[in-house]
Amino acid sequence: MIEKLMNIDRRYVFILVALAVIIPSLLEVNLPITISQPTRSTYDYIEDLAPGSTLMIGFNYGPSSLAELHPMAKAVIYHCFEKKIRVIGMTLLAEGATLGDEMLKDVAAEAEAVYGEDYVYLGFRPGATQVLLGMGTAIDSVFESDYAETPLAELPMMADIKNYEQIDLVLDLASGSSTEWWITYTNTRYNQQIAAGVTGVIVSQMYPYLQTKQLIGLMPGLLGAAEYESLIGRPAKGTEGMSIQSFAHLLVFGLVVLGNIAFFIQRRQAE
Amino acid sequence: MRRQVPLVLCFAFGIVMALTEFSPHQWSKWINEEVIDWALVIGPFALVIAIATLVQTHWTRIRRRTEHWQYSYLVFGGMIIMLLIGIPTFLNKIPFLSKIGLSFGQKSPIFVWLFNHVQVPMDATMFSLLAFFIASAAYRAFRARTLEATLLLGAALIVMIGNVPIGDFIWNAVMPFGENLPSDARQWILDNPNLSARRGIILGISLGVISQSIRIILGIERSYLGGVEGE
Repeated sequence: MIEKLMNIDRRYVFILVALAVIIPSLLEVNLPITISQPTRSTYDYIEDLAPGSTLMIGFNYGPSSLAELHPMAKAVIYHCFEKKIRVIGMTLLAEGATLGDEMLKDVAAEAEAVYGEDYVYLGFRPGATQVLLGMGTAIDSVFESDYAETPLAELPMMADIKNYEQIDLVLDLASGSSTEWWITYTNTRYNQQIAAGVTGVIVSQMYPYLQTKQLIGLMPGLLGAAEYESLIGRPAKGTEGMSIQSFAHLLVFGLVVLGNIAFFIQRRQAE
Repeated sequence: MRRQVPLVLCFAFGIVMALTEFSPHQWSKWINEEVIDWALVIGPFALVIAIATLVQTHWTRIRRRTEHWQYSYLVFGGMIIMLLIGIPTFLNKIPFLSKIGLSFGQKSPIFVWLFNHVQVPMDATMFSLLAFFIASAAYRAFRARTLEATLLLGAALIVMIGNVPIGDFIWNAVMPFGENLPSDARQWILDNPNLSARRGIILGISLGVISQSIRIILGIERSYLGGVEGE
């Protein structure tokens, strides 16, 4: 019996995972979200920005991390538009270019934000380090035109935005090492304030930068998205996804505990 | 000569760029900004090299008929289609093509459609599969065999359950004390043991990067030039 339990066919585990995701999605379970301090710090910083301030968002993720980072992007951009904070979108990853463009357009349509006045999308340029350093001197030395190939000089919003000095906060939405690039090249060199929203697997790497205040805030994966949605009072995909993810985590928790109970019984029997 | 010129350039730029970081003088600033501009121009060449390497690798696989060589044709197919639609934006000026609804570039509806309906679902599917494999692997491999493994297991379980709202929900419903204890415990683990360990790792990596950079600047480490060491 114990032997069987320990060597259970992995397809049964797969079926359990599928059920743990499908059933809560069908039942539309909504669980209360506890807000963590790093997410609250991000929210508070943006909330305290004056109307007309500027936030730069880096869409540094590809489609594989879209489920975690898109809800986060949506919540933050909506919050900015609501507070009349200007948004500049850009990406250091080629795959992020289309994602960022569509996300900004979607939220702008919802919040009735105007392109060129409330937000601008710069798109992608290769050479991440050089892009980050170059924008410190002049944004238009790196992005001479926006994603739609309109020269930056023709966009009213960019008239008074030349480099990081006019950007109040950079929010890096990352599925890789880009947050560390922003910290190394823009926080250290230009004293740029940075917050990050990252996928669950890299959250733990960011904590040393939070302690040193090189990151003013951090949104951890889908949980961060759900927390931010709660803070702005607009539950959406993050909250929905988090409730579903809860059951998957509970299942893995249960499986690990079960596996260890079986392991201990087997070890005792062997002794 | 083929090796000396890159070594001299590497030494000169390495030393000059390091020095400019420490000098606020306007010439120093000018040099720094100018070299960054050059680097911006050089950056796109990396993409060209990446494409050339990709083509070379997959062409070799097809030629040698290595395992799963047929999939290399899919790589070429995908790349050629996306390049043909994404790059020739000058074709948008041809009235006939616009008339029949063909447009090119990154904002072309065909390019966006392929991205949204091919790349996005494929990438998302690959990533979603991880959930199944992680669950299966956790069940099989995560055993409290030693003290270290038990500590790791305990921390992982706390972070796992504290990271989802159901942890606090069950705890608050069952326990009369310690409101939101699972999420607080998770936060403590991330803020303390995790942070300390990460800081050690970062310091170690940074020292390694500094020593490797000095070796490259001084020409001791030459493997970036290719070929056999010391050749």
